[in-house]
Amino acid sequence: MHLPKVMGFAALALGTSVFATLPALSAETLSIWVRASGANAAQHLVDLWNSGHDDKLELTVIPDNQMVTKLATGVQAGEVPDLISFDLIYMPDFMKAGFLEDLTADLKDDPNYAGVAQAYKDIATYEDKIYGAGFTPDVSILVWNKDLFRQAGLDPEKGPETVQQLHEYATKIHALGDDIYGFYFSGACPGCNIFTTSPMMVAGGAKILPANPGDEPLQGDAIKTVLTEFKAMWDEGLVPESAEADTGTNFVANFSTGKLGIQGAGGFLISDLKANAPNIDFGVGFLPGVEPGQHSAFVGGDVIAIPKGSKHADLAKQFIKWELTDEAQLEGLAKNNILPSRPALADNKYFAEEPRVVTTAKALGIGYVPWVFHFNDMVNSDSSPWIQMLQTAIFDGDIDGAIATAKDAMKQIASN
Amino acid sequence: MIATRKGSVGLLYMAPALLFVLVFVVVPFVQLVQTSFTDASLLGGGGFVGLENFTRAFADPTFQRALWFTARYTIIITPILMGLGFALALLTAPNRPLEQLTRGIVFLPVVIGLGSSSLLWFWLFDQQVGLINRFLVDIHLLAQPMVWFTKADLVMWAVIISVTWKVVGFGMILFVAAIQSINTEITEAAMIDGAGPWQRVWSILLPLTRRTILLATLISAIGSMLAFDQFYIMSGGGPRGQTFTAVYWIYQQSFISFKLGYGAALSLILTAIILFFSAIQVFLSNRSPGND
Repeated sequence: MHLPKVMGFAALALGTSVFATLPALSAETLSIWVRASGANAAQHLVDLWNSGHDDKLELTVIPDNQMVTKLATGVQAGEVPDLISFDLIYMPDFMKAGFLEDLTADLKDDPNYAGVAQAYKDIATYEDKIYGAGFTPDVSILVWNKDLFRQAGLDPEKGPETVQQLHEYATKIHALGDDIYGFYFSGACPGCNIFTTSPMMVAGGAKILPANPGDEPLQGDAIKTVLTEFKAMWDEGLVPESAEADTGTNFVANFSTGKLGIQGAGGFLISDLKANAPNIDFGVGFLPGVEPGQHSAFVGGDVIAIPKGSKHADLAKQFIKWELTDEAQLEGLAKNNILPSRPALADNKYFAEEPRVVTTAKALGIGYVPWVFHFNDMVNSDSSPWIQMLQTAIFDGDIDGAIATAKDAMKQIASN
Repeated sequence: MIATRKGSVGLLYMAPALLFVLVFVVVPFVQLVQTSFTDASLLGGGGFVGLENFTRAFADPTFQRALWFTARYTIIITPILMGLGFALALLTAPNRPLEQLTRGIVFLPVVIGLGSSSLLWFWLFDQQVGLINRFLVDIHLLAQPMVWFTKADLVMWAVIISVTWKVVGFGMILFVAAIQSINTEITEAAMIDGAGPWQRVWSILLPLTRRTILLATLISAIGSMLAFDQFYIMSGGGPRGQTFTAVYWIYQQSFISFKLGYGAALSLILTAIILFFSAIQVFLSNRSPGND
């Protein structure tokens, strides 16, 4: 007798539950691969997105040195994630290989994209089409030990304005003691040097790498000037002996001992030092050129893109547009002491108490990234012309020969 | 008829192993050969280029240097591993508790991954925090901590020390098994005839374990010619690319420079070299006592 009524309630309950779960049923899960060094920043953005959206992102961390292989084989096998975040330097090769979705229609008129650091926009554009956006930035800066500056009679609030002045400061700092060194660079690490040494050349007006076959690499007097100063500092013992063999393992370890005066580093060093060497009082500035007022930086970190074959390309595009908004840039990145990829957001409430981070964020705006195919062959490989030029010039002393040899080798690589 | 049925049954038993070899050895090898004749990149493509990769490889100074470095490394480390392994086997062959314990301790590093042990030794050799420098300074062998990785020869010796620590136990175990398999009556008879310890080693143990020594030498030499992890971790190919091994250069070309076709050609050349030396060793092994 009560059956129809019971069934009515049951039908109503079932209907309600179906409607209640409709958004959940239609929600999608997007996969995103990020390389390990950008995983922390990416995780904050993913968490923020997931907390406010029905469509969720699932993050997979890939070891840095496996990312290219994994993506390349993934694209060829048709097994790719919906989004991918990787070292921006691979962008030209990936764009040319047709690995990535064209995002021009989505980003061209986006006001947030317009504010992204120019270096990111440059590296993600190929034949007037946009294939990616800045995601988890890193940028090179100059750091100096303020205590050693004070002891050496230097102004601890001002870093060197030129590479010649850097040499002068390093000399004064090394004079404090045999175990105190003025300057450091990782002499067997091509990546560390393109990050910290090349901006000094670029700031001085040099052009380093050839973007296309026929381009003349290593143009400008600043290349020789920087190499000459580095060689002089090496010859004078201002740089620790271990620098010659350092493949990057001790890139910033020496600075954290408190016995090193000045070096180029990445923005990541600020939080590293604050966490692991809180007693070191250090200053941060732009990398200098060869004349006062010349500055530059190498913009690194990761770009985000959508690989061809993504199963949720439209949703992935929504995520890329969202990660450029003020909400994502400030609440996802700046709030967690991570640089936003829009330099105009450098002065924000989260960085207010740490001017060194503000300086770093501003370095993104003045920085460059080389747009070049075969970056690995030209720079990152352990036998690249870039690192061979540095080593021959600085450690062997043949500066002109080193530049000439590297020039030929780079032209040869660009022609392939 | 019966023979045919037996053959079919045998083939059935062999089928899983044959399938395994086909899928995981033959097919990849055929693909490797195919790739070596193309300009395939990790990023796609790959047109037929004939023998271009091979002619380029023979003119590649870095590959030649890497081959020569690999050969030097192999020539130096192999006798060390064999000699030390055999000496340890002589000392630990008796099945008494102390010898068994020593065998266990010496064998322990064998179970550690080569990557992990290389990283461990990388830090042990570190100029600032490494215990080796600290020890050498403390016993006044060094005036101050030295940088071990600035010269190719120093790098090679650092790697040789680390690899010897890691794998010497493997050779030792092989030699212990070989020594223990020798009939004790032979050595006892030699002792009665007045043979001293060196005579017993030289005239009895070495000849009767010759096949094991050749086998261990073959395994060790092939392993050294394929060296990669230890140099990748400890030297990064430096200084100045002087410690690239052949495999390291193949890795660089294939996965860092994306040149899969060229990397495949280099791999085939290295395979041919290893096969050549392996064939010599197998030939020698077949002529050793016990095979007649």
